[in-house]
Amino acid sequence: MRPFVYEQPTAISAAVAIASRFTTHDDQPTRANAQFIAGGTNLADYMKLGVAEPNRLLDLNQLKEQELRQIRVTEDGIRFGALVRMGEAADHREVKQRYPVIADSLRLAASGQIRNMASLAGNVLQRTRCEYFRETSWHCNKRVPGSGCAAMEGFNRQHAVLGASDACIATYHGDFAQALIALDAVIHAEGSRGARKIPFAKLHRQPGDTPHIETDLAADEIITAIEVPAIPWARRSLYLKIRDRESYAFALASAAVALDLEGDSVREARIALGGVATVPWRAKEGEEALRGKRLDEASASAAADAAFAGAEPRRHNAFKIDLGKRTLVRALLETRDMKV
Amino acid sequence: MDPAAPKPKENMGEPLPRVDAQLKVTGQAHYPADLPTANIAYGALATSSIARGKVTKLHLDEARAVPGLLDIVTYGAMDQVEKPKFGNSGATSIGPLHDRTIFHDGQIIALAVAETFEAAEEAAQLIRAEYEEDKPTAGFDSPGTKTVPAAGKSPLFKEDVKAGDFDAAYAAAAVKIDQRYSTPTQHHNPIELFSTTAFWQGDQLVVNEPSQNVTGWKVELARQLKIDPAKVRIVSPFIGGAFGSKGPMTPRTAIVAVAAKRLGRPVRCVTSRMQAFGTQTYRAETRHRIRIGAGKDGRITAFAHEGWEVTSRPDLYVVGGTSATGRMYDYGSVLTHVSLVQADRNTPGYMRSPPETPYVYALENAMDEMAVALGMDPVEFRRINEPKTEPIGKRPFSSRSLIQCYDQAAEAFGWAKRDAKVGAMRDGDWLVGMGCATAIYPTAVAPCAARVRLTADGDVRVQCGSHEIGTGVRTVAGQMASERLGVSIEKISVEMGDSSLPPAPVSGGSISTASVCSAVLKACDAIRTKLYAAATGEGGPLPGSRNEELDLADGKIVAKGGASAKVEGLFKAMQVGAIEEYVEFAPKGATPQALKKLYAGTPEFHGGEQDEDSVKYAFGAEFVEVRINRYTREIRVPRIVGAFAAGRIMNTRTARSQLMGGMIWGIGQALHEATEVDRRYARYVNRDLQDYLVPVNADIKDLQVILVPEVDHAVNPAGVKGLGELGNVGTAAAVASAVYHATGKRIRDLPIRIEQLLA
Amino acid sequence: MSQPPPNNALSRRKFMAGTVSAAAAAPLLASRAKAETPIGAQPKLRQPVVTSLRINKQAYELSLDTRTSLLDALRDHIGLTGTKKGCDHGQCGACTVLVDGKRVLSCLSFAVMNDGKEVTTIEGLSSPDGKLHPMQQAFIDHDGFQCGYCTPGQIMSAIGCVNEGHAGSEDDIREYMSGNICRCAAYPNIVAAVLQARGETRGA
Repeated sequence: MRPFVYEQPTAISAAVAIASRFTTHDDQPTRANAQFIAGGTNLADYMKLGVAEPNRLLDLNQLKEQELRQIRVTEDGIRFGALVRMGEAADHREVKQRYPVIADSLRLAASGQIRNMASLAGNVLQRTRCEYFRETSWHCNKRVPGSGCAAMEGFNRQHAVLGASDACIATYHGDFAQALIALDAVIHAEGSRGARKIPFAKLHRQPGDTPHIETDLAADEIITAIEVPAIPWARRSLYLKIRDRESYAFALASAAVALDLEGDSVREARIALGGVATVPWRAKEGEEALRGKRLDEASASAAADAAFAGAEPRRHNAFKIDLGKRTLVRALLETRDMKV
Repeated sequence: MDPAAPKPKENMGEPLPRVDAQLKVTGQAHYPADLPTANIAYGALATSSIARGKVTKLHLDEARAVPGLLDIVTYGAMDQVEKPKFGNSGATSIGPLHDRTIFHDGQIIALAVAETFEAAEEAAQLIRAEYEEDKPTAGFDSPGTKTVPAAGKSPLFKEDVKAGDFDAAYAAAAVKIDQRYSTPTQHHNPIELFSTTAFWQGDQLVVNEPSQNVTGWKVELARQLKIDPAKVRIVSPFIGGAFGSKGPMTPRTAIVAVAAKRLGRPVRCVTSRMQAFGTQTYRAETRHRIRIGAGKDGRITAFAHEGWEVTSRPDLYVVGGTSATGRMYDYGSVLTHVSLVQADRNTPGYMRSPPETPYVYALENAMDEMAVALGMDPVEFRRINEPKTEPIGKRPFSSRSLIQCYDQAAEAFGWAKRDAKVGAMRDGDWLVGMGCATAIYPTAVAPCAARVRLTADGDVRVQCGSHEIGTGVRTVAGQMASERLGVSIEKISVEMGDSSLPPAPVSGGSISTASVCSAVLKACDAIRTKLYAAATGEGGPLPGSRNEELDLADGKIVAKGGASAKVEGLFKAMQVGAIEEYVEFAPKGATPQALKKLYAGTPEFHGGEQDEDSVKYAFGAEFVEVRINRYTREIRVPRIVGAFAAGRIMNTRTARSQLMGGMIWGIGQALHEATEVDRRYARYVNRDLQDYLVPVNADIKDLQVILVPEVDHAVNPAGVKGLGELGNVGTAAAVASAVYHATGKRIRDLPIRIEQLLA
Repeated sequence: MSQPPPNNALSRRKFMAGTVSAAAAAPLLASRAKAETPIGAQPKLRQPVVTSLRINKQAYELSLDTRTSLLDALRDHIGLTGTKKGCDHGQCGACTVLVDGKRVLSCLSFAVMNDGKEVTTIEGLSSPDGKLHPMQQAFIDHDGFQCGYCTPGQIMSAIGCVNEGHAGSEDDIREYMSGNICRCAAYPNIVAAVLQARGETRGA
């Protein structure tokens, strides 16, 4: 690991100020000399592997702003402070009641220990677990722009079938983000250019020709909160995660689903897909396919077909198209059958 | 009743808690990298990123500039040291720093040594190599492999067994199958990382390293370093899981010893988990073709098993499981052939039941297919083909309780309630399947030395250079001494894991309990003989009694008629404070060189299929229930029952735990474990515990182990059959059988994954 | 370029010039002297950082490389080797300790980030008279291990799991203990141990 200077700013403004002093506006947050750390579960791992090489870490855990650590439920929805830990949010009574899909997505992620450490903002920013990205001796356009992609023709069972490009097929592995994108969450960020709100769907960038650009954030920008709008019918929602083993594994395919039903028919559906795409993936085509329809296996299948219409298989991950569809069908039917 | 402590049945010892349990739950059990070492320097490896070629240039300047860097051990540094040897105690003949040739991915190219772990890691990451790269061969189906017959390439695999006229019998068979099966590359992944800590005290070298073979390593390391083995000490008091991975010594050990010598201070190198995939051994991928022919009555008349195993270019590592599969059932005729396929890979090594895991998986999956082809219950099919003698040499089995295992496991599992029709069993959205398979493991034993001391106060010390890898051998050795010396277990201390102790064989091949307990038994009996002599001799308290009529219990010698003499008094009479016996146990059939070979670290194995009088195996039967979601097809194993017979069970608690762990390994092999090789580069891809999946707690629900009583005096004096490698044999085939039952899909390539069950 | 941050925005992080031997780390009394950041000083690369930790109710002040994980600080700088390194990347759970009562992975936590925190390791569980914590005893009773290497992490995780309220059912225990890999696969015995000790652990 590269050596780094460790600093503990005690206010958001100070953290931003230090970050902007040691980064430039063109720096990608993941490639900047100065980087923020909260739980560290992703960054420390990648620093050990030589994938992340900041020479300055700004520890956000001493920031004095208490709302960073709070979950607030209001008429407008729910607001998660950025430093709230995954485990705390997963166990939050009202989160479980009002947004089961959020609680599920957190509960089914990682392990108890990691959920105690990882902050919510850090979790949504977690970087891909692509094996070829993790190990620095492979070619990887995300890690070293222009160096090539070893995964493309390599062992790519866990890789993305949606949102990939000729430069990168690395999967976004997070779970919580799928719930957030499905529920139209909004990110609050603060940087040297001021505070702003970013629709969650705009936070992550598809790889395109620049897979090293992973998010819309500037290097000196800190996520301060995640806001989820009030959606009364989100009580009928769930997160279904399919994986090789029962726990402590990334999704092969997952689905975040929320349904507004009128009797048997769908007034509105929210669908996001995990484990299959390069970024948190909202499947609006699938949602549209269900609108006004009676939800049964046939309509759910049609929605799944629509959701995966643009999927592109690789050698080892072709099964994810079929599996992703089945996961969505099952998630839709299970959501329909929820007693709320 | 606590399932962890099964009530002993006939020929079973008490479920005593492990003698080292308290140390293990308090963090006081010291694994080699925990042993305090003053003034230590830290080492970190740099490894190759190609699988075949030559290192043309190493760039070390950046690494050297790291503050705290002390040394970089690389090409040239090992020139005065002998290259490693493959076989017995050595993992490979590749001397990674003897030669700039790269034989495999992840080969050591340098060791950076620094004042701190952080500096060593930083420096190692900054070492850059330039290569002259050749196109590597990854394994099966890659261009450039070399295939050679395996028979005779290893002392453990002498021949391709055969019997009768397979071709004729197969041609004439009314029902037959001809199928191919495969198993993937697997890495042991014990949770303890591999490490070497070396330090020199004058010309004496001490190496703290997790080892299943301290005596063998001592001798092999001394050979490499060209010093007297008496000057080398390997210390490994606790081993954090091994499963074969810590059996053969890898080249790192000598490299770290050289680094410690160059620096004149202790050096510790803890290998990262990623690096372990290339620097340690592994279970190579295998392929199988199996043909079975039978009459309509279900009697097998023809069995052929061909196997292919990947190995490295320089070393011909063989597992050759046809020795066992060829003797499993009453086949009529048998034809087998094993081939080695050489590729640009690191040398494989033994991993928990090395031959049986892949070969018996293939056989048992084929047996299930055959039962389906015959329209026969798979348990019944095995019952029909139960042999009286083994089909190759027509020798009897020293004991064989397979059918008892099937009966008891089937009963506990509720096999009778299974609806045999494929896809007939459902639970809501879950397809339910049930399957079974046979487990077999050869019962071997090796020479072993032990020293046992009994003091007048009744304290016992047992010393034996065996290894506590989690099997409970320390506990059962203590139990044996407790039983034979009539002393409670609390009064007994057991020392193991140090090459300065009396030598024991490698803790592999499930021989440890049999070998160690036989030696401890012999030592205790020698102590008994001395005490008996004092009791029955002139002026003794039990004059005239014959030794056979005496017993030693609760600190007293008890004669047939009930008269007794306190051991304490005998010590007084003998005017000694302690009796100590150093014994060497050699199994029946041992050659005249057997004991010499024990000290040389190359012990003879006896038993299995090698003895003339009988063949010796432990058996078991495993039943599993699988559930497969009808939409998403993930596979779970909510229930598994295994019944096993393995001669004398020294301790029902440790025996059950080992079998349970084996069964869960079997589930992992069925559904999870595979090291993926990037075919283009012959490089491992998923080299950590994030991507190399093993079962976690939530994967295991209802698990039952049944210990079936069995008495076998032929196997060894202790009457013990090893069972550490029995539990994970057959499991994967039982899962495949259950998956077929649930879905109608016959999966022949492991692991069985979701993608194979879609569509 | 933006301006340097005001000094008062930095917490009372303690930097020390030169090196202090980590091996000299010793338990300190509560009234220990702290080295303060000189006004206007900027931390430098490769400068050791003094970190105060309370480990098993004992105060320590360590001079550490910022890169040192909490795990390596425990093992290599304090000599508490009960906490194990199984992967060093947050994939196995062997390094689990309690920080301020919550179970975390010490391999993924830089030691300097734990300044001022209360750390409990396996060595801190039994009472001074040597009486085992109920969870330790339960692991012995149910043979919740074989090789014993993952055991300290399992026990710390089990205590965390119970205190988090996630040991309500066997299924819960299985799920919430899944971050601790046991390669010997003592899982059913671990579940039995947690079931046995959960009541007493809540009170402990």
